[in-house]
Amino acid sequence: MKKFVLFALLATLSSGAFAHSRIDKTTPENGAVIAEAPAEISFSFANDIRLTRVDMTHADHPPVQLDLGSQKSFGRAFKLPLESMGAGSYLIEWRGLGIDGHAMQGAFKFTVE
Amino acid sequence: MPDIWGQAAILAKFLLYIGALGATGLVIVRIVFAGPTALVAERMRKQALGLAALTLVAAGLGFMLRGAALTGGADGMTDPEMLGLLWQTPVGDVLLYRLIGAILMIAGLLIPHSGQWIALVGGLLLLWSFAQIGHVRDIAQTGVRLLLLLHLVGVAFWIGVLSPLHRLSRRPDHLSHAARLGHLFGQAATFIVPSLILAGLVMGWMLLGTPTALITTGYGLALITKIALVAGVLVLAAANKLRFVPEMQAGNTNAARHLAQSIEIETTVILAVFATTATLTSVLTLPN
Repeated sequence: MKKFVLFALLATLSSGAFAHSRIDKTTPENGAVIAEAPAEISFSFANDIRLTRVDMTHADHPPVQLDLGSQKSFGRAFKLPLESMGAGSYLIEWRGLGIDGHAMQGAFKFTVE
Repeated sequence: MPDIWGQAAILAKFLLYIGALGATGLVIVRIVFAGPTALVAERMRKQALGLAALTLVAAGLGFMLRGAALTGGADGMTDPEMLGLLWQTPVGDVLLYRLIGAILMIAGLLIPHSGQWIALVGGLLLLWSFAQIGHVRDIAQTGVRLLLLLHLVGVAFWIGVLSPLHRLSRRPDHLSHAARLGHLFGQAATFIVPSLILAGLVMGWMLLGTPTALITTGYGLALITKIALVAGVLVLAAANKLRFVPEMQAGNTNAARHLAQSIEIETTVILAVFATTATLTSVLTLPN
């Protein structure tokens, strides 16, 4: 029976997408290949959220937490300055709080040639 | 697949369901079936106290884990900025309902006689908190929230009878009390079960929108898992009502032993229903 409970839990976990992470648009776009690292990154969300943490991982380096600066209120569009780390892949991972109290998270990546 | 904080949040919600529904159910059953449960009343009171304490811990832990989900680390669990942010959202309102509900429940259980009514108010507040957040709140209709409350009261009543019925069934000298409680609950279930099914179907329809979403979305598939588990519980409940309880009324102690075993399986399946619901309401998005 314990296995049955575990199975039910795993079956439902594996069948669904992680909740409430609806992002409309990012700049650069997810998967973009660009010539130069952008001076800033931006996010647009379908609904109001409050960003709580954004991490950048460049190539094989450890993640760096980006300063949210004044972007600490609920909104749909956010811009954060980005320090160029040169060529390579950039992974941006974000977390936030929806106005309804749902925790949200997501990620996008781009490559600088 | 949610991260470690998401998984921990599901576990906290699972414990919250056990605590809130279990404690409220025991209080309701103690009030409704005072006579047949008199022999196990003190044990039921202690169980309800333990479950109310579990509710307090699970509600607080769940709130702190939401803080961790916002930062992606354990530091978020005690970060005043994150917890302050959460407090301003419906998550904060719900925590308040749950803390007040659980404290009222504990206080009521510690006061003899009339305290059970205070405990009942606490329990209803706990159940009402589930209608103030999540997917049912998203569809923003008071009628649906009341339907969820009705659904939860029915579930709590059902769960609340399991422990005293199990306890009484295992004692041959308490056979007549077990048979009486089983019979009375069986009569009540004739109304409760169709209401539970109807409320569940209406809410499922309102949340999903179309029947095809049942098989084409993760949310729908999880709902099917839940329905299948509930169907299993219903089969067991039907066997209890139609076979074991009448035999117990005729004085058959073996039937009481079978009923106790059936209740143990029923409890396990209900725990699986809770696990599925905790997942359904935590990590799966509603279609559209």
